[in-house]
Amino acid sequence: MIRLKTKLALFNLLSKLIFTALFLLFLPGIIERIYLRQVDKDLIQKREKTIALISEAGIEPFIESDSTGAFGSFNILKEEYISLEKTRGGEELNEIVICDRFIEDEIITYRAINYTFQVDGESYLLEIGKSLETITQGRKSIYRIILGFLVFIILLTLVTDLQYTRIILKPLEKIKSKLREISSPTKFDKTPVKTNTLDFAALDKAMIELMMKIEDSFRKEKEITVNISHELMTPISVMRSKLENILIQEEIGEETAMRIEESLKTLQRLQRLVNSLLMIARIESRQYLLEDTADMADLLTEITEELKPVATDKQVELRGHYLFNGCLRQVNRPLLFSMFYNVINNAVKNTGSGGSVSIRVEKISGALNVTVSDTGRGMTREQLDKLFSRFSSRRDNNGDGTGIGLAIAKSIADLHGITVSVSSIPGKGTDFSFTFPENS
Amino acid sequence: MNVLIVEDEISLAKEIASFLKSENFLCDLAFTGNEASEKIAVNLYDFVLLDLGLPDYDGLDLIREACELGSEASFIVITARGAVEDKVKGLDLGADDYLAKPFALVELLSRINAVARRKFNIVSPDIVLGDFIMKAQARKLVCNEKEVDLTKKEYDLLHYLVLNRGKVLTRQQLYEHIWGNILDDQYDSNFIDVHIKNLRRKMNQHAPAPWLETVRGVGYRVSDE
Repeated sequence: MIRLKTKLALFNLLSKLIFTALFLLFLPGIIERIYLRQVDKDLIQKREKTIALISEAGIEPFIESDSTGAFGSFNILKEEYISLEKTRGGEELNEIVICDRFIEDEIITYRAINYTFQVDGESYLLEIGKSLETITQGRKSIYRIILGFLVFIILLTLVTDLQYTRIILKPLEKIKSKLREISSPTKFDKTPVKTNTLDFAALDKAMIELMMKIEDSFRKEKEITVNISHELMTPISVMRSKLENILIQEEIGEETAMRIEESLKTLQRLQRLVNSLLMIARIESRQYLLEDTADMADLLTEITEELKPVATDKQVELRGHYLFNGCLRQVNRPLLFSMFYNVINNAVKNTGSGGSVSIRVEKISGALNVTVSDTGRGMTREQLDKLFSRFSSRRDNNGDGTGIGLAIAKSIADLHGITVSVSSIPGKGTDFSFTFPENS
Repeated sequence: MNVLIVEDEISLAKEIASFLKSENFLCDLAFTGNEASEKIAVNLYDFVLLDLGLPDYDGLDLIREACELGSEASFIVITARGAVEDKVKGLDLGADDYLAKPFALVELLSRINAVARRKFNIVSPDIVLGDFIMKAQARKLVCNEKEVDLTKKEYDLLHYLVLNRGKVLTRQQLYEHIWGNILDDQYDSNFIDVHIKNLRRKMNQHAPAPWLETVRGVGYRVSDE
């Protein structure tokens, strides 16, 4: 994953490099054309000048009366030459060509203009040439200047691009950090991010609206749980009080008392069930605050102490191996207590006499890990798959469990960002493993 | 002692009243917040059992009003809302205790008694149970000057049974008193049986304790004699 800022800068740089490369590829040709055109213009101008001189002074001063009947001149570095000679006529020439000339033991390539004209019935050929070496040199220096300029411009725009994207992306960074910092939608900072970029303002606004919606639905859900709680608990409460009042009366016989107690038990199962469902709803709508700190070993010791009498009675050994101890921050201790209690209690329940339940706390690749292992009856694949869904676990013989305990444990784990994994071998035992998020 | 029961569910209010009357309390009933507000202003109560879910009144306002009137009544807040902040708010506003619906009537009684002991600074007397003496102040059970080594849970269990002497307590009532609501989904009637078994075993090492009775099919009782 690459950051947007880097991506933009990379794209900018790449596109500039491609354009520059293309430009540089065509540059020699372009420069040559421009330069040649300039040279040609120059040659034509010189021709005009010469023709003007000839028409003013006549051809005689230029043509020596020797046998050759020609005139030639070149400057000292042989960069330019001019020649004028008599031709036999017939051919009309007015062209610019590239030609080699042999001057003082040297062959030099020139860009030359050939021009024929007539004076006093005689035909003359005028040649004005400019050495191509000077042309190439001129071209090279122009090339260098342009190249240097381009490099400078690219570097400059790269720096300004980086700065500019950093500045315009600032609001996005702010929105990002706002989202990263929140632990719950109710804690979202609802002050709009300052920006004059329409897209960011829209994003920010959408974000705020979304958070408000989530908050609103949490609030509604909370209201619903509160109302359900009230509507269901009140009738249960009435029935319970009535039955308890009957149970206190001395005159009811043993038989009636047992029946009343049975009705109470059934009612209490309903009560626990409603409580459990409400608890899940409250956990899922985040009505529990994660503001406690908890010492892992303390928490587990408290639970094992609590369960020891039951385990001892069943002749199940309950051991804790605290290879590592961590202090957990930003947790809900009663909920964590409930979660571990639930799983350890289940482990004890499912382990037969002579078996053992062990709890290991260790650090595995940087994360705090708690494993509850039992030597109980284990579970099949199908049982494992349905383990955390509500009402899936078999109720035990005395009908006390609601079949919802592990679903609660799972929702508590989810609330805390704890990963739960279970492995089991039927007849051998089950391992419950809790991996805490690294930052806790 | 005078108790005002503020509860909009009339049949529940009547059941609570009938139970408290059998425990020698004088009970008054208010089914609405306005009624309660008037009664608190006119009469003197030792206790107000206040349901927070009144349709016409925010129950917490009643506590505030009573405080402003200088009422000396102790408030025990009852709520079915179950929201944690209600509990905190209620206790902050001067409620003396908090009970979530549905609750056991014996639990309500023990809360009232606990508040009363705190309020009137009553020193819990030592209680004689056959060969044993329960020293409630020191939270100890003693037999022939020797302390019976009980865990906190075992002591609490026995103490609760002793406080409700003569009454049969069901396993659920005992469980709720000791473990509260947070472990509701983990309720196991076997827990209580195991603790009672351990309790008996420990006491029997000192002297027989026939006064701790099992009531078949119902629960446990500490007999009156």
